[in-house]
Amino acid sequence: MTPDFWNDYGMPFLFMVLQIVITIGAVIFSVAYLTYAERKVQGAMQRRQGPTTVGPFGLLQPIADGIKLLSKETIIPSQANKPVFFLAPMLLFSLALVAWAVIPVSAKIVIADINVGVLYLFAISSMGVYGVIMAGWASNSRYAFLGGMRSASQMVSYEVSMGLVIVCVILATGTMNLSEIVTAERPVWLQILLLPMLVVFLVSILAETNRAPFDLPEGESELSGGFMVEYSAFAYAMFFLGEYANMILMSAMATILFLGGWLPPFEIQALAFVPGIIWFVLKVCAVLFFFLWTRATFPRYRYDQLMRLGWKIFLPLSLIWVVVIAGTLLYMGRI
Amino acid sequence: MNLFFAARSFLLVEILKGMWLTLKYFFFVPRVTINYPHEKGPLSPRFRGEHALRRYANGEERCIACKLCEAVCPAQAITIEAEPREDGSRRTTRYDIDMTKCIYCGLCQEACPVDAIVEGPNFEYATETREELYYDKAKLLENGDKWEAQIAANLVKEAPYR
Amino acid sequence: MPKLKINDTEIEVAQGTSILQAAEMLGYEIPRFCYHDKLSVPANCRMCLVEVKGAPKPVASCAMAAGENMEVFTGTEMVHKARKGVMEFLLINHPLDCPICDQGGECDLQDQAVGYGYDRSRYYESKRAVKDKELGPLVKTVMTRCIQCTRCVRFADEIAGTPDLGLLNRGEDAEIGTLVEKMIGSELSGNLVDVCPVGALTNKPYAFKARSWELRKTETIDVHDAVGSNIRVDARGGEVMRVLPRLHEEINEEWTNDRSRYAIDGLKKGRLDTPYVRNAKTGKLEKASWEKALETIAVKIAQTDKNKIAALAGDLCDVESVVALKDILDNLGTPHRDCRIDGAHFDASTRSGYIFNTGIANIEQADCILLVGTNPRVEATLVNARIRKTWLEKRLPVGLIGEPADLTYKHTYIGVGPDSLQALASGQHSFAEKIKNAKNPVMIVGMGVFQRADGLALHAQLHDFAEKMGFVKDGWNGFNILHTEAGRVGALDVGFTPATNGMDFAHIVEGTENGKVDVLFLLNADFARALGDNAFVIYQGHHGDSSAAHADVILPGAAYTEKEATYVNMEGRAQIAKRAVYAPGEAREDWKILRALSTALGKPLPYDDLGTLRQRIAKEFPHIASPDVRVVAPWKQFGQAGAVKMEPFHNAVRNFYKTNVITKASAVMTACVEKFLSKNDERKAA
Repeated sequence: MTPDFWNDYGMPFLFMVLQIVITIGAVIFSVAYLTYAERKVQGAMQRRQGPTTVGPFGLLQPIADGIKLLSKETIIPSQANKPVFFLAPMLLFSLALVAWAVIPVSAKIVIADINVGVLYLFAISSMGVYGVIMAGWASNSRYAFLGGMRSASQMVSYEVSMGLVIVCVILATGTMNLSEIVTAERPVWLQILLLPMLVVFLVSILAETNRAPFDLPEGESELSGGFMVEYSAFAYAMFFLGEYANMILMSAMATILFLGGWLPPFEIQALAFVPGIIWFVLKVCAVLFFFLWTRATFPRYRYDQLMRLGWKIFLPLSLIWVVVIAGTLLYMGRI
Repeated sequence: MNLFFAARSFLLVEILKGMWLTLKYFFFVPRVTINYPHEKGPLSPRFRGEHALRRYANGEERCIACKLCEAVCPAQAITIEAEPREDGSRRTTRYDIDMTKCIYCGLCQEACPVDAIVEGPNFEYATETREELYYDKAKLLENGDKWEAQIAANLVKEAPYR
Repeated sequence: MPKLKINDTEIEVAQGTSILQAAEMLGYEIPRFCYHDKLSVPANCRMCLVEVKGAPKPVASCAMAAGENMEVFTGTEMVHKARKGVMEFLLINHPLDCPICDQGGECDLQDQAVGYGYDRSRYYESKRAVKDKELGPLVKTVMTRCIQCTRCVRFADEIAGTPDLGLLNRGEDAEIGTLVEKMIGSELSGNLVDVCPVGALTNKPYAFKARSWELRKTETIDVHDAVGSNIRVDARGGEVMRVLPRLHEEINEEWTNDRSRYAIDGLKKGRLDTPYVRNAKTGKLEKASWEKALETIAVKIAQTDKNKIAALAGDLCDVESVVALKDILDNLGTPHRDCRIDGAHFDASTRSGYIFNTGIANIEQADCILLVGTNPRVEATLVNARIRKTWLEKRLPVGLIGEPADLTYKHTYIGVGPDSLQALASGQHSFAEKIKNAKNPVMIVGMGVFQRADGLALHAQLHDFAEKMGFVKDGWNGFNILHTEAGRVGALDVGFTPATNGMDFAHIVEGTENGKVDVLFLLNADFARALGDNAFVIYQGHHGDSSAAHADVILPGAAYTEKEATYVNMEGRAQIAKRAVYAPGEAREDWKILRALSTALGKPLPYDDLGTLRQRIAKEFPHIASPDVRVVAPWKQFGQAGAVKMEPFHNAVRNFYKTNVITKASAVMTACVEKFLSKNDERKAA
C-alpha cells in the first residue's frame, strides 16, 4: 500500500502550521491589546485618559506603535557581541510562544496534550532568563549588564518558590497533565488550602516576568532601561513582545493551576452554555488585570527587599505548605 | 501588639488597602486630563506666553525704545537698539528676544510704560530649530497683530488689579 | 572764619562759604538743580531749602552764606515738606516722558523725585508746552522738559563766553531761548548737555542710542587737542557711544570741547581694519595677512640703503609706539625721523622751549597775558576757557599778536606779525607797559608762529623777548608754547626729532621725490603734502586718509579709545589712556605692531609687554614716567639766531571741527562745519 502522502503527512503538517499561525497570531494580537489595556487601565487609575487619538478610543494605538518601532533604525553598539545581541530577543520571544503548545484553552483545544505539561511549561518559562542574560552581556554596557545580572538572580530566586507552589498543585491534583489538572476534582477545603499558594504564585509570576513592583532588571530610575538599554527598533519590539507574551503565558498558567481553566466559575452549571474558551480568556484577562493593577498601585521594590521576600518568606512558606498539603492529603486519604 | 502587626503584614492588609484605592480610582474617580490638541484648558488673562509687540489702533507701533524691559530682563534675553526715526520720534531699529533665554517671568511687560511688549496667550509656538526662536522685531510685531484682540481683552480684564 | 552747626555737627568754614558747600564738606547731600560748582548762584530752583534756627522760613542753602553760630538742619520734617512742595511745583509742568527721554537713568530730577516726589499728581489743568529751539547739530532740545534752572544760560555767559541764551518772558511763559533764533556757536556747547539737570538739552548725535545703565565706562584721556582733557568713554559692545568730561581741576576742570565729545562717530568710519599691501602689477592696494605685510616690509628694508630710510610720527601717536619706532630706527641706524609733520621749525632740544611751562591751572595766577600767533579758542578751547575764567575774575589785560579773533573776552589787538613783537620789546606799544608792570605775565605762543621757514630764528627771538619782558623770572615761567596735537609733546620728549645729520619733515618729504628717501614709515602721520612715487611708503594708523592712499603697505593700528597708551599734554604732563573697546578687525595696538615688525626685521625689540616697554621708557625719560605729574622744565637757551621775515603770523588751526583723521571721518563734525562756519569763513578753508 502506497502511503497516502497527503493524508498521512500533508494534512497533519498543514494542520500543524495552521495551529502555529493561529497561536502566534492570537498571542501577538493579545500582546498588542494588552499594551493598550495597560495604558488605559493605568491611565484610569491615575486619573488620566490613556491613548485616545489613534483610531476610535485610541484602539489603533498599538498598531501605530508597532509600525513606529518597526520603521525605526536598529542601532547596534559598536562593542556589542552581534550574534548574541540579536539572538537574545529572538530567544526570549520564541520561548514565550513555544510554551503555548501545551496550554489547554478549552476541553479539547490544545496543541500538544502531553503528560508532563507542567514540567514542560516550567522548564520553558525558566529558560526565558537566558534571553535576558544574553542581552545584558552582549550589549557590552554597564547598565545592561547589571540589569541582566539582576534579572538572572531574581528569576532563579522566585523559580524555587514557584516550583514548590506547583508541587502543591500537583500533589493536590495528582497529575502533571495540564488538562487533567483543570478537570481534577477539587473539594472546597483543598481550594482553601491552595489559596495562600495562589497568592505566592501570583507574586512569583510578577517577579518572573519582571513586572512592577519587581521590575528591577529594567529599573528605569537607576539602570535607565536595564538589559534593554542598548536595544532599539525591531530587536526592542521582540523583547517587548516576549515580555508581554510571557505575562499572558503566566496568566494562563495561573488560570490552569488555580482558577479552573476553561470551566465556568464555581462550577455553576447554569453558565456552562458559554464555551470554555470564553471562560478561559476571561480568567486570563482577570489575572492580567491583576498584573496591571499592581503596576499602577505599588512602587518598585528595593533589590534587597526583593531577595528577602523570595528567600526568607516565600521559600519557607511554600516549603511548609508542601508539607501541610501533603500531610492533609495523606490524612484525608487522597494519596 | 506584635501579633497584631504580624497578622496585618501576613494578611497583606496594607497591600490590599493600596489596591482598593487604585481600584476605586479606576471605577469612580473622574479623569482630570484633557484631550490636549482638541480640547484646551482655561487660560488666565495673566497667562504669560509668547511675546508680542503691540501697535496703537492707528497702526503706530507702541514701543518707544525706553529699554526698561531690556534693563529689567533677568535672563538678558532682550536686545534693543534705537535711533531717531525720520519724524524724530524715538523708535527701535532692533528689538530681539532670544526665546531660548527667556524665562517667561513677565517682568518686561510689567516694566513697559506703554504696554508695548506683552506676553500673549499663545503657548503653541514650538519650532524645529533654535534659530527660529530668536525673535526679531518683525516677528514680534506680527505676533502683536495676530493676537491683538485677545491681548487687549486680557489687559482690560487685568486693569483693575494693576 | 564762621563756625556753624549743621545737624549737630560743628564746622568752621571760610568766609563766604555757602551753607550748601559747608554741608557738603560734612557729607550731607543737599538736593539742587540750579546750583553748580563752577557757575554763579541764582538760587531759583529752591530745591536746596534747609532749616536755619531762628529763620522764619526755609532758607535756600546755596545762596545763604554760612554765618557765625548758625544752626542748620538739613533733614527735618519742615525741610522735607518744603522740598516736597518745590518738587511738586517743578513736576507740574514737567512732562512724564522719562521713557523717551535720553536723560532717563541719569537725570537729577528723576533721582530727586524718588526722594521728594509724590506718586500721583494733584494738578488737573493742562500742562504747558514749549517750542523746541534749534541749537545746531550737537545739542538737541526738548524745551517742555525745562525747569528753568538757568544753568545753561549761566554756562553760556560765564564759561563759554557766548551769551546767546537767556530766560525769556515771565511766569507761566518763562522759557529758555535765544532772543533771535540762533545756534550756539561755542566750542564748548556740548557742556550744556552736562549742566542741564533734566532732559531739556541732550546730546544730539547720541539721541536715543543707548541708556546710561548699559554703557561700560572707561576713564581715559582725550587726544583731539594737546590739552589732554580727562574724559570718560562710554561704550556698549564694541562701539563708543559717547564721551563725557571727567573732573580734573588742573586741566579741563569739568568741561571738554565739542571736538572731543562729538567726533567719536569718526572712530567708526574710514577705519583700517586689515593690513594692505600694494600689488606690484596692478598698482592697487590689496588685503593681506599680517605675515605678508610685515614680510613685504622686511624684504624691502633689507634691500634698501639704511641711510635712505626715514620715519614720521604723526599727531595722534602715543609715547609707547613712538619709542618703539625710534628703537627700530636706531637698530637700523638711520637718523631721519621727525614728529613735526605740520612743518613747524623750532628747537626741540630744550624742553622748556616747547612746553606750556606755566601750566594750564596756573593761568589763573596770571595778571597779564600775551597771545602770539594763536587763537586759543580754536587751538585749545579749555586753555581759552581758563583765560576767560581768569579774565572774568580779574579783568586782566590780554594782548593778541597775529590773526584777529573773537576770543570771548576783551583783549588788546597789538599787531599781525614779528614787527609787533619788536614794537613791544622796544616799548613802542602801550601794552609793553602792562607786561612790565605785571607780577605774573604769561605769554602763549601758537604753533603757527613756527610753521614758517624762519621758525628757528623766531624761537630764539621769543626766548630773548620773554626774558627781556619779564615773562620768565625767578619763581615764575610765563613762556608757553601752545601745541595743537596730542602726540607732539610726547614725541618731542622722547626725542623723535632728526638725529645728527638727520633730515627733518620738509626734507624727508622732498627726499621721497628726489630719491634721498627710499623707504618712508608713517606712524599715524597724516598730512596733505604729496609724496614722491618712487619711495616705498609704509603707513601705520587707524584711518585711511590722505597719506594712507600713498602707502605701499598699510598696517592697521588702534585709535585712542582702543589702546592702553601714554600721552603727554602741552604742559608736559604724561597721562594714561585706557582701552574702552577693542580695535576693529585685524587692527592691533601700535606698539605691538612695531614689536612684531622688529621681529620681522630680524632684531626683536627687548620688550614683550606694555610693562617692560614702560620700564624702558621710564629709564631713559623719567620725566614722563609718572602719570598725571607736571614735570617743570628748567629755563635754558633755545632757538637759533637768524633773520626774521616781517610776515604776518598765521594760526595753526583754522577749522576747529576738522583737525585730525578722526574728525575728518566724522559726519557730525562735517555737519558742524556746515552749520557753524559760514561759507566764506576762512576757518572753513583749511
